[in-house]
Amino acid sequence: MTIRADHVAGVFFIGFGLLVIALSGDLPTGNLSLPGSGFMPKIVACLTIFFGLVLALRARESKPFATLSWADAKHAVLVVAITSAAIALFERLGFLTTNVLMIFALLAVIERRRLLPATIYSVGVAGVTYVLFVYVLKTPLEAGPLGF
Amino acid sequence: MCLKRHSKPARWDSRIVVETTLHSLYLGFSVALAPANAWYAFLGCLVGTLVGVLPGIGPLAGISILLPITFGLNATQAIIMLAGIYYGSQYGGSTTSILMRIPGEASSVMTCIDGYAMAKKGRAGAALCIAAVGSWIGGSFGVLVLTVVAPPLATIAIRFGPPEYTALLILGLIFLAYMSSSSLIRTLLMACLGLLLGMIGIDNMTGHFRYSFDLAELGDGIGIVPVAVGLFGLGEILSTPSADAVKEIITPRLRDLLPTRKEWSESSMPIARGTLLGFIIGIIPGSAHIISSFLSYALEKRVSKHPEQFGKGAIAGVAGPETANNAASTGAFVPLLALGIPTSPITAVLIGALMIHGVSVGPTLVNDHPDVFWGFVASMYVGNLMLLALNLPLVSVFVTVLRIPYAYLYPLIIMFCIIGVYEVNNSIVDVWIMLIMGVVGYALRKFDFDPAPLVLGLVISPILEQSLRQSLIMSNGNYLIFFSRPISAGLMAVSIGLLVLAAYAFMLKRADWRTKLAEAEAGEAEL
Repeated sequence: MTIRADHVAGVFFIGFGLLVIALSGDLPTGNLSLPGSGFMPKIVACLTIFFGLVLALRARESKPFATLSWADAKHAVLVVAITSAAIALFERLGFLTTNVLMIFALLAVIERRRLLPATIYSVGVAGVTYVLFVYVLKTPLEAGPLGF
Repeated sequence: MCLKRHSKPARWDSRIVVETTLHSLYLGFSVALAPANAWYAFLGCLVGTLVGVLPGIGPLAGISILLPITFGLNATQAIIMLAGIYYGSQYGGSTTSILMRIPGEASSVMTCIDGYAMAKKGRAGAALCIAAVGSWIGGSFGVLVLTVVAPPLATIAIRFGPPEYTALLILGLIFLAYMSSSSLIRTLLMACLGLLLGMIGIDNMTGHFRYSFDLAELGDGIGIVPVAVGLFGLGEILSTPSADAVKEIITPRLRDLLPTRKEWSESSMPIARGTLLGFIIGIIPGSAHIISSFLSYALEKRVSKHPEQFGKGAIAGVAGPETANNAASTGAFVPLLALGIPTSPITAVLIGALMIHGVSVGPTLVNDHPDVFWGFVASMYVGNLMLLALNLPLVSVFVTVLRIPYAYLYPLIIMFCIIGVYEVNNSIVDVWIMLIMGVVGYALRKFDFDPAPLVLGLVISPILEQSLRQSLIMSNGNYLIFFSRPISAGLMAVSIGLLVLAAYAFMLKRADWRTKLAEAEAGEAEL
């Protein structure tokens, strides 16, 4: 049997629905005249399982899973890795330093741009944005150990 | 004070309605034309056009990212600017569709088909002009009806109870699923996922913590902004390597902007139909501006004497959808302003923006904050005129923005995504949620899921859950409460009717108009 995209998606949604029901164990369902906090999540989780099942059963209409193109996956993984590092550093280093580093890394590592233009662009763009927000729009941005 | 007395007349006879509306509009224009407010309307329209022009940043991500900029403004200026971004993006979206065959945002997909075909024939200017004029007519008509309809509707809406709200929101979800050009099951799955995400946090009725994993930041639930920015902004960037983003751009000459007499004549009826269709669909909860453009295209093709010209540069294929998506954008403000119901993720973000400024949206808005309500309505008249004046002469300037290499553009967008999300609550957890939703958005694109119903589900989840549970408590657990009150019974009847129609097509495996439209869309995407 060919595994299709909707088989995988359907199984994911069934699993997700079951996970929600498992996590709802402590939440009181209540009854119809006094529904508890677990009432609605359990209904929606059951619907998710049902629709996931229908999706998997009708998977013949979808593409084979093996034919899905993952050519952009490397780009996506690198962007996620650099952005994750930037988010982790955001409150420690502040807006300006973090964004200069993030933009530089995106340009130099992923886009293979030359170092000088990448440095000028990252410092320029982050600097102008900082000035725009802090001094023109009076919206404070996260400050780092050096005060910016 | 005088206005407050006028906006709540004892009897709604026509003379009082006209007098009240004119008095209120006078106040509205005095607010909208104040230099500072007009400046923010202009700024919103300009930024909105840019948001619409740039592929990858839809109006939702654009508004969410720019939300922190409005923190220093008052409520009226904030809503004027954010709404300007919303309807400005509808105008801007047509530019990339016609000149590059890239829909700047989802509602411009149908414009790509005939708009780009016209551009290839040297009629790019005419297509842009008709799109701008159609957008203006659709938007202005919507504002006109909003002016007349919203205040009396707000009076009726005060009588809306939990069963009516429940029925209306269920209708919205079913309508969205029925009208969606992708599969009904996929749309409902996305809506369920959104509803479940919306249940994270403290339960309003019992105080229980739900799915918050001891994270205090999740106590208030997951915000719309990180989810929307992640799914639509970051998700798009993750699935677009810069090498794939290079496209040929056709630049129109200013002297070629005016359509011929024949083109005007062929566009007039599609514009009229698009206006009515778009406005009606805009009122119903769902991603109205997207659905309306798809339906308008299908309608124009069906009523045309030359359906074979569609796909080869039929001007009706540009005029109808472009008018409809603008009329729908304005129509979406009717339930927002009259009922306080967000009919789309975008209007939900607008409600959030007003709440940040201490203005609660709902039936009482028109009486409690007449300056905000009427200032906002009047600003849309002004904004639509600004957009007409802005879009045609400056089209070459907007096209220049598209020449910025994507490799330099997307790091900038990621930076704005981080600022936009962080500044709303000063919460780094929100930024992590945005990143996770970006990855989810990437995966959803791979598996052909449209993320819009997920955001709508997230938006309406708290209101739907609360009104459903309140309805059941009111009726002592009797589900028939939804069928025993006239308004909710009517809304439920429409929902059931739509479900029966969908089940009929599903069981007989009939290729109805939605399937054909989806096939046309898929075929277009492959080209």
